[in-house]
Amino acid sequence: MTEEQSFTHDLVNSLKAEGIRQTFSKGEFILREGEVEKNLYFIESGAIRVFLLSEYEEQSIRFGFENSIINSLSSYFREGPSEFYIEALRKTTLRVISKQRVSEIANKDIYSLTGYKCLLETVITQQIEREIDLLTVSPTERLNRVLQRSPDLFQQIPLKYIASYLRMTPETLSRIRNS
Amino acid sequence: MTSNQLIDDLLVTTKNSTQAVQKLKQFELLKLSERNAPNEWSILECIEHLNLYGSFYLPAIEKAILSQKTIHNSCVFKSGILGNYFVNLVKLKQAKIKKMSTAKTMDPFEKQLTITTIDRFLKQQERLKSLLEQARYVDITKAKTPISISRFIKLRLGDILRFMVYHIERHVAQANKIHSN
Repeated sequence: MTEEQSFTHDLVNSLKAEGIRQTFSKGEFILREGEVEKNLYFIESGAIRVFLLSEYEEQSIRFGFENSIINSLSSYFREGPSEFYIEALRKTTLRVISKQRVSEIANKDIYSLTGYKCLLETVITQQIEREIDLLTVSPTERLNRVLQRSPDLFQQIPLKYIASYLRMTPETLSRIRNS
Repeated sequence: MTSNQLIDDLLVTTKNSTQAVQKLKQFELLKLSERNAPNEWSILECIEHLNLYGSFYLPAIEKAILSQKTIHNSCVFKSGILGNYFVNLVKLKQAKIKKMSTAKTMDPFEKQLTITTIDRFLKQQERLKSLLEQARYVDITKAKTPISISRFIKLRLGDILRFMVYHIERHVAQANKIHSN
């Protein structure tokens, strides 16, 4: 196991063992714009989406499925108001731990710290992948890139949110899938 | 009336509408979704109706402003006949609300709505405020804006701004009335 894997393993175990269990019904908000993200969430069951609200639309920017770790990341790091909403897409059970506790786990020893650093590197790399997604002109290619990362996306998430994530209309997405 | 005076008035009304909706935001979702009669709108539906209008008109207003040359002196605003007619149609008279019907595309009845409806409205109000400020620097009599009900008619930007602000005032008053009943 690499240091990152063993750190993630520790983190997930802590989330499962000591995380407070919270259940949200469909459409309920886990976090709203303007609130400060103080927690890290592990999705025990269900699915969530992170989205940005503009004057005219909701832009889905991230999804979380069963076994994902997720939160409103920039707010969590900066301890400032979140730009994003986190919404349960169906009945969802989370395990919640505080930023304070995550920090304790990361600072436990030098191996954990290295693992935490590697995990952050992975997160940054994922963000760059997402940046490339958004710069990809062809809608078909955009869809293919995302399906390579998450083959079961359509099983987990309603089409209209996937379309918003891919920055295309639901009609365009249906057309690409059927062609 | 000079266009600057008109815009000052519209900014005051806009601010009042924004503050009224900020107060409504504090209510529970259940209260916001309640309707007084089966065929009447809830508070959220009133606000979503305004969002639907905003989604059409705010980009149109922005485009109209950007397409104009900047002017340096405030000029007099002259209302158009049709523009003035539409404004008077939606403008509240003695704070009384006369029922009107709504175009189907602008009717949010029975749409799944949540608190983001109000948050989005408040973002649109910010946008409207900034567009009103920008409108000081163009000729709002000369600038034309398309309207949602017909592709063939364009109205003066000043009339569209008046329409937007008074239409919002109208439905915010309606939302407040639902709340007080």
